[in-house]
Amino acid sequence: MLKVENVTKYYGDFKAVDKLSFTVNKGEIFGLLGVNGAGKTTTFRMIMGLLDKTEGNITLDGKEINYSVTDDIGFLTEERSLLTKLTVKEQAIYFGALKGMSDDLIIERLDKLLKKFGIEEYKNKKIKELSKGNQQKIQFITAILNEPKLLILDEPFAGLDPFNIELFKEEILNLSKKGSIIIFSSHRMDHVELFCKKLVVLVNGKSVLSGNIKEIKESYMKKNIIIKGNIDIEKLKKISGVEEVIENSLQYEVKISNKDVVDSVFKYISKCENITKFVVEEPSLNEIFISKVGESYEK
Amino acid sequence: MRSKLNFLINISLKKKIKSKWFLIANIVIGLLIIGLINLDSIITSFGGDFDTNTKIYITDETRVIAPSFEEALNIYVTNLYGTEESNYEIEITDKSSDEIIETIKNEENNSILIEIFYDENNEINAKLISLSTLDTYDYQIISGALNTTTSMYTLSSIGLTEEQYNKILHGVEIDRVILDESVKTEDENMEMIVTTVFPVIILPFFMLTIFLIQFIGTEVNDEKSTKSMEIIISNVSPKTHFASKIIANNLFIFMQVVLMVTYAMIGLGVRKLIGGDNIINGIGTEVSNILSTLANGVLGDKLVPLLIFTIILMILTFVAYSLIAGILASMTTNAEDYQQVQGPIVIILLVGYYLSMIAGMFEGSIFIKVLSFFPLISAILSPSLLVMGQIGVVEVIISTIIMIITNYLLIKYGIRIYKVGILNYSSTGMWKKMFKSLRNK
Repeated sequence: MLKVENVTKYYGDFKAVDKLSFTVNKGEIFGLLGVNGAGKTTTFRMIMGLLDKTEGNITLDGKEINYSVTDDIGFLTEERSLLTKLTVKEQAIYFGALKGMSDDLIIERLDKLLKKFGIEEYKNKKIKELSKGNQQKIQFITAILNEPKLLILDEPFAGLDPFNIELFKEEILNLSKKGSIIIFSSHRMDHVELFCKKLVVLVNGKSVLSGNIKEIKESYMKKNIIIKGNIDIEKLKKISGVEEVIENSLQYEVKISNKDVVDSVFKYISKCENITKFVVEEPSLNEIFISKVGESYEK
Repeated sequence: MRSKLNFLINISLKKKIKSKWFLIANIVIGLLIIGLINLDSIITSFGGDFDTNTKIYITDETRVIAPSFEEALNIYVTNLYGTEESNYEIEITDKSSDEIIETIKNEENNSILIEIFYDENNEINAKLISLSTLDTYDYQIISGALNTTTSMYTLSSIGLTEEQYNKILHGVEIDRVILDESVKTEDENMEMIVTTVFPVIILPFFMLTIFLIQFIGTEVNDEKSTKSMEIIISNVSPKTHFASKIIANNLFIFMQVVLMVTYAMIGLGVRKLIGGDNIINGIGTEVSNILSTLANGVLGDKLVPLLIFTIILMILTFVAYSLIAGILASMTTNAEDYQQVQGPIVIILLVGYYLSMIAGMFEGSIFIKVLSFFPLISAILSPSLLVMGQIGVVEVIISTIIMIITNYLLIKYGIRIYKVGILNYSSTGMWKKMFKSLRNK
C-alpha cells in the first residue's frame, strides 16, 4: 500500500503542495489530477524520493521510500526521458540495470513487450530514429520492465493515437491485475474516469476533490437529464431545480440541482409529444471539477 | 546483483571508447606523436638532403691564406655547434673565377667561391660569391675564419716568435662557476622547460584536463537535457551518479595517458627501425641529466618520494577539475550554458599553463612560488619549478596536502550542489541556488 500523509512541500516561500494525503492499495489505479503547476510533478518527485518533503510521510508497504526500494518502482516522466543516442536495446539495458535486473532478464522482458506493442523491429534502432509515439512506447516499456510494485505514470498517453492508448490501457490494467499500485496523471478526465477507482484533484498544491470516483459522483447532488423529443424549453426552465437547459442539434441536456428534481421534469415530459429518450446521467468529472474550482480542468 | 556504481562507470567508459570520436582522436593523436618523434625522417623523406656539405671553392692570390683557412673554419664550427664534424668541403683551386662561377651556377647545392686577393693598398681582402643568399651562420663562420687566418698570417709575417704569436692569438677562456647548484641561467631554464618539461608533462596535462572538463560536462548535460536524469536519479543516489562520472572520466583519462605513452613507444620503435638518429639515447641523457641535477642538488635522496608526490598531486588535480566540472554541469541545463560556466576554470588552467612556461624567466619569483601552492595550478606549475630547483619535496608535499583538502571540500559541498542542481532545469538564479544548496545536508 502506498500511503501519502499530510505531505507539504515549500520552494522557498512558495507552497507547492499543501498537506496532501491519500492511500493507494495493491492493484488499485489512482488518478492524480491538476492543471499545470498544481503540484502533480512535485508530488511524483517526492514519492520517488527525488525531492525532499518539507513535512509529512510517504511510505510503500509501511517502509519509507528510499534507494533500497526503488528497484520495485517504475516511473514514466511527462517529458521524454530517453537517451536518444542509444538503441532501444541499450536503453532498456541501461534503465533495467539501474533497477538491479540482469541483462538476460531485461532482454527476455524487452522482447516480450516489444512484440506486444508491435515494435519488435526497432530493438536495435537508435531512439532518435523513432517517431514520437514509438518513443513513448519505449519509455513506457522501460518503466514497466521490472514489473513494478509501484508504477508512476505522468501523462502516459501524451502523443499517442487511440489505438496505442488502448494498448497502454490494456497493459496498465494487466499490471493492476497482477497487484501493482498504479498512480497516474492526465489532462484527460475521460481517461481518469475509465481507469481509476480513486483520485485526488490538486489546485495550487491543495486537494480540492478526493476519494472514490463512484462515491464522488454519487455524493455530487447535481445530475444531467438527456431528453430527445418535442419540448418547450421555457416551460422546462421554469421547473424548480432546473438550472440550465442546453439545446443540442438532436437532444436537450437538462442540468438539475439534485435528483429530486428528476420527478418534476419527468412529469412535465410525460405530457409532451414524440419523446424518444429520457436518461438521467451522472455528471462528468470535469463538471464536478468546474463546480469545485470555478474553471474547467480541460482547458 | 551487480553494483550500480560499477554499472554506471562501465557504461560511461564504454560509451566513450565505442564512439567514433575516440577512434578518430586516437588515430590523430597517435599519428601526431609518432610523427613528431620521427619528424626529421619525415621531412627528409619528402625530398632535400639536409646533411649535404656546402662546397667552398677558394682562389688565393696570396697563396698563404687558403691553406690555413680550413683549420680556422673547423675551430669556428666546433665553437658554434659544439661538434667537430664540419659540413664544409673546401677546394683550393687555380681555376679562373669565371670558370668557378659557371660551375656554381650548374651545381644543385649552394656552393661558395671565396676570392682572396691583394687590393690596391696591398692589403689582403676577400670576395664571397654564391648563387643565392647565404645562411647567417655560414657567413659568420666564413668571415670569422678568414679574419683569423689573415691575422695569423700578418702576425707571422712581421717576425714574431711562435711564443709571442700564440700569446697574441690566445683567446680568453671563460669558465663559468655557479656556486648555487640549483641556480641556472634564464636561458638554460627556459630551454629545459621548453625541451623537456613542456612536451612531456605540461602540454599533455593541459590537454587532458581540457578533455576531462569537456567529457564530464557533455555527459551530464546529455543526461539532463534528455530528462533521462530523472529516471537515473530515481534509481541511484546523486552521490553514486556523481562518483560514477568522476571515476569513469578519470579512468578514461588514465587510459588515454597509457595510450599516449604507447604511441610514443611505437614512435621510438619506428625511429629505431628506419634508422633515424638515436633519440632514445638523447632523451635518456636529457632525463638522466635532469634527474642527476635534482638528485645531486637540494633533493638528494628525496628524489623518489618527490616524484611520487608529484604524480599524486597531478592525479588529485585531475580529480579536482573533474569534481568542479561535474558540479558546474549539474547546475546548467544545456551544453551552451555549460560552455559559459566552464570558462573560469579553463582560464585558471591557462594561467597555470602560461606561468609554467614563463617560470624560467622569473627565476626566484616569490609570486610564482606562492602560486605553485594554489590548488588547480600547483600540478601544472610545480614540474617547471621542480626542474629549475625552485621547489623541493616539502613544497610538493604542502601542495599535495592543500589539494587533498580542496578535494575533500569539493566532495563535501559539491555533493550538496549536485543533488540540487542535477534535477534543476531552470537557468535563472543559478548561482543563488548553488550557494543556497551549500546549506543543505
